[in-house]
Amino acid sequence: MSIETSPVFLLDVSSGQPIDAELLDGIAEQQLVHWEDEWMPVLRDAVERMKAAGIERTKWPQSRHWDWRQKAQGFDRALANPGFCVTCQGMTQGMMFLDLLHKARIKSQTGKELVYIEYLENAPWNRRHIAGDEARFAGVGSLLVRAAIELSREEGFKGRIGLHSLPQSNAWYANTCGMTDLGADPDYPHQLRYFEMTPEQAEAFLAKGNTP
Amino acid sequence: MATKKTMTLNLTDAEMGVLEDLCEKKDLSKTAVLRQALRLYQAIETRVEKGAKLFFENEETKEKAEVMML
Amino acid sequence: MKIEVTKDWCIRMARLEVETGADMEIGGASAVASPDAVALDLSSESMPETNIAFGRFVSLMRRKRRQTVESLAEDAEIDVTELVEIEEDNHHKPEPRTVYQLAKHFDVPTPSLMQLAGLSVAKNASFYEEAIRFAARSETVEELNDIERAALEAFVSVLSNRK
Repeated sequence: MSIETSPVFLLDVSSGQPIDAELLDGIAEQQLVHWEDEWMPVLRDAVERMKAAGIERTKWPQSRHWDWRQKAQGFDRALANPGFCVTCQGMTQGMMFLDLLHKARIKSQTGKELVYIEYLENAPWNRRHIAGDEARFAGVGSLLVRAAIELSREEGFKGRIGLHSLPQSNAWYANTCGMTDLGADPDYPHQLRYFEMTPEQAEAFLAKGNTP
Repeated sequence: MATKKTMTLNLTDAEMGVLEDLCEKKDLSKTAVLRQALRLYQAIETRVEKGAKLFFENEETKEKAEVMML
Repeated sequence: MKIEVTKDWCIRMARLEVETGADMEIGGASAVASPDAVALDLSSESMPETNIAFGRFVSLMRRKRRQTVESLAEDAEIDVTELVEIEEDNHHKPEPRTVYQLAKHFDVPTPSLMQLAGLSVAKNASFYEEAIRFAARSETVEELNDIERAALEAFVSVLSNRK
């Protein structure tokens, strides 16, 4: 599998400075090793702390159950399920798997192809929910969502993307990303809210970062 | 993602007709439609190879009809 | 696929993330993908039944180390209830994190234990044949040892004292 690298930037939260990073159009063994050796222990510690602090289970990171190695194995060579990741300072900072066989649900786009974000995870040390004020880098999620949009355009799907959002991210997708909220999905575990981006909304998302 | 290779495809009039209809319906180029078809074909083949069966289900009657994959 | 993103875009969006407290995690509450009729989830297939072999393996590895269930659960930092279910309930599907922790504790490759636990697909069928063979060979017919006998007798007392 040949993976292409695009130079990007993350924000170092503590210094407020840009840091060189890379956006890769694939998930390789190195990412899985990083997940096993670096992400999991931090996630595990975070869950233990939340448990000890009496925080209710529904607020614990959902991704504590995720097995990226299993996902990568399942999606290996699957044309419909490309992956992307962001790396910085030699470490995987975020990963994403997509599905190209979904259809849009928004009325104006019904039946049209879109890129569905199956799984997206930011490294635990970047997440405020887990790392608090020690959160290291920002910008990972935006870059991965952008990658999904760019792939959607490349495939002729005009930037359409869709995803199910966890409650703590609903505001981000609705307000910052400007996606359409199609409401709680009764067919999805925990009836998570389903969001979609039209071609126009995709254009606006790309323009947002260019607007001072 | 790897660099792309070009191929020539010979289609009958009927096949080209279907392809053009799909392009119009889905607002996709011919290449995009065929790439989607390949993805779908692979995804189904992979499941069938692992022992799954592909069905159509009638929404009203809930009747299932198996799609035979050769 | 090359993607061109300006530095300004990256940093502006990153700052928006910080301002809004966005916490990026997208995915189903379980490992199952969207039930959309067209989407085919290849990452959560139903696996051949190797749960018996997995439970037997965990039990024997624990006993080899002369550990109780409680002490293994503590050392491996896993839930003791789940450990009991793994050893006793052939239908129990373990949490990926639990299998990961056990693999580290027993010093066996995580991918292999994931396959044995039925959480991922082995590359060849011979793995499953070996697992079933192991399960069949490892069923004990030995007498209870002193610890098993003492624990059993203590629990029988508990059962007998319940109304």
